[in-house]
Amino acid sequence: MTAPTRIRRATLIAVLLAALALAMLVAVGFGAVSVGPGEITGAVSRAITGEARAAGDAVIVDIRLPRVLLAALVGACLASAGVLYQALFRNPLADPYILGMSAGAGLGAVIALTATASVTALRFGVVPAGAFVGALLTIVLVVRLASLRGTLDVTSLLLAGVAISYALSALTSFVMVFFRESMASVVFWMMGGLTAASWPYVFMVTPMLAIGLAIPMTATRELNLMLLGEERAGELGVDVERFKQVLLGAGALLVAAAVAVSGLIGFVGLMTPHMVRLVIGPDHRMLLPASAIGGAIVMVLADLAARTVLAPVEIPVGIVTALIGAPFFIWLLVRGSGRR
Amino acid sequence: MSGRLVYAEATVGYPGVTVVRDTSLEVAPGEVVGLIGPNGAGKSTLLRAVTGTAQVTGGAVRLAGRELADYAPRERARTVGVVPQAVSAAFAFSAREFVLMGRHPHLARLQHTGAADLELAERVMERTDTLRLADEPVDTLSGGDLQRLALAQALAQEPSVLLLDEATSHLDLNHRLQVLDLVRDLADGGLAVLAVFHDLDLAARFSDRLGVVAAGSLGPVGPPPQVLTARLLADVFGVRAVVGTDAVTGSVAVTPVLREGAVTGERSGRVLVVGGSGTAAGLLRSLHLAGYEVAAAALNRGDVDHAVAETLGLERVDLPAFGEVDEAAVRAVARMAQTADAIVVCEVPFGRANLGNLRALAGAATRTVMIGAFGPEREFSGGEASELVESLVRDGALVVADTRAAVDAVGRLTAREGSPPSGR
Repeated sequence: MTAPTRIRRATLIAVLLAALALAMLVAVGFGAVSVGPGEITGAVSRAITGEARAAGDAVIVDIRLPRVLLAALVGACLASAGVLYQALFRNPLADPYILGMSAGAGLGAVIALTATASVTALRFGVVPAGAFVGALLTIVLVVRLASLRGTLDVTSLLLAGVAISYALSALTSFVMVFFRESMASVVFWMMGGLTAASWPYVFMVTPMLAIGLAIPMTATRELNLMLLGEERAGELGVDVERFKQVLLGAGALLVAAAVAVSGLIGFVGLMTPHMVRLVIGPDHRMLLPASAIGGAIVMVLADLAARTVLAPVEIPVGIVTALIGAPFFIWLLVRGSGRR
Repeated sequence: MSGRLVYAEATVGYPGVTVVRDTSLEVAPGEVVGLIGPNGAGKSTLLRAVTGTAQVTGGAVRLAGRELADYAPRERARTVGVVPQAVSAAFAFSAREFVLMGRHPHLARLQHTGAADLELAERVMERTDTLRLADEPVDTLSGGDLQRLALAQALAQEPSVLLLDEATSHLDLNHRLQVLDLVRDLADGGLAVLAVFHDLDLAARFSDRLGVVAAGSLGPVGPPPQVLTARLLADVFGVRAVVGTDAVTGSVAVTPVLREGAVTGERSGRVLVVGGSGTAAGLLRSLHLAGYEVAAAALNRGDVDHAVAETLGLERVDLPAFGEVDEAAVRAVARMAQTADAIVVCEVPFGRANLGNLRALAGAATRTVMIGAFGPEREFSGGEASELVESLVRDGALVVADTRAAVDAVGRLTAREGSPPSGR
């Protein structure tokens, strides 16, 4: 808009990025063996330049770094998806987990996992594709179901999301029981964890986040207009039906990326946009990128907690986010869902 | 661009429901066309047909010469601005940002609002008296402020057609007039305005033409004085109202009147009133409000009773000022007398000029009620009136003391004539 706004905007993003970098540095440093920032930067620069590795480099470059990066990517995906769905449904309680999309993506991923059990090489393409299809079908189903009573109100949407979530979880369990041999790993994955993090996962999620975020970033004005209600958005020139389809698609891509690598992680998509909105206001031009970075920070820290609080036992990160997020969700409910 | 909005035998509704049929209407640049009608009649649906929220299932709606269906949403939003009935603002955008949202259809995908947009926004905010709110978050503003901001937002679209859907319903009187004056100015500047009105007075005052939407169709569209009649108000809104001319603005003024008691309001039957010189004014009003179909015998233009009958929209026989009740008028009054369930003769003096009103009552004596005895103070016809009154009384006409007694007598006569109260 005006020049001062643009400067404030750039400053805020820079501050958030710096905070993310700091969080990542801390997260890489902590663990069974703690490493200092100097060692980390050294290891990274050696890895980039192709120099011979020092003794502790393997832990940093092959284990910690991909895990922390993946946590950041997954957090960004979930928080961005949360922003999109909250705008789309004009509903502050919308979140991929609550809407049942995570469960849908989970079922899609589990089906893809079991179908490709023998051909591991295929998994990196098929699992996220399965998750994407699962997430997209679920959100379409949930919206249809919630609109049956006429208007798409908060209550119908939440009820439909919960109902579909249960049904999909049951189906997932059924698939797992049927393919008993892979059950343990799938259960752990379903609880939401980043233990399997590796560089190929990072390379798989990155483009999905890039596409899923770039599409809505070109339409932040429309996202703002959607807050005025679909009818008003239409009056002001938004092709509402098409825009909704594009948003649902972009959101499903983001959810699929997160679920395919980390299972079901709830509440990050709900909490982060709320916290960011409190600070910077509702304009999606800022809200969307700031929430993506904010989600990354939240997730990096949550994963750090999951790894270190009960070390050497590792808690699935989904449990950590649920422990923080569920009370937050209840607080939102109590405060009244009418206002954001 | 000329923003002519044309409904050509358009049928409009929602999936599975037709709301308004075969609507033909043209709104030209520079014109304010008002739509009135009961709630749920489809006024808003007609507007929504333009913005694509309602569907045109038959006929066509054309905008600036092109079929509506040919417009992309953004292009349409550059042509048509809408001010909705209710504005939702459950978010903390500033009023300025809110108004700037109206620039959306003019901005390219990755283009952001620039200095020119900002200047335009401030200009329209100034015109809508909202500039002082520019930095306030909209979720803290009142409904009236929001409605004016919505108008500013619509004006920021730089439309050539403006649709108002009861756009002043949340405003106080001062802002209501201010906003409508602004709309009038904009129309005079070439904007085509189609407005749904809740308030009939405002509709009459600010519309060049008015149309009534009722029972799934749009009635004839014309100048407010032709459209807004007491009969139409009773038929369409089920409201008894006095339609007059506002002494100051000169526009049609509608004064809804409360029924005088639920029971009397249910009365039905035809009553003919013979009056003049103001003797009938109170009775005409009482009977009209009580629910009777009231007719007035011949009255001179300029007479007080004539003015009352005209304001109430009553059936009547008009005479020129100081003109006599001639043979044609006598025949007209006699026809009214034949179909009337009750006839009331007020305490009017009779002379040569109005004697015809009495002569026309011959043969209807049993249904006639005379107010007050006929004495010399009312006799200006050299005895002829006295003879007519005497013969009416001889044939069964009832003489009562005052207006109140006359209303009671009318009640008995209409009941006896087999016109039971219409019920509810």
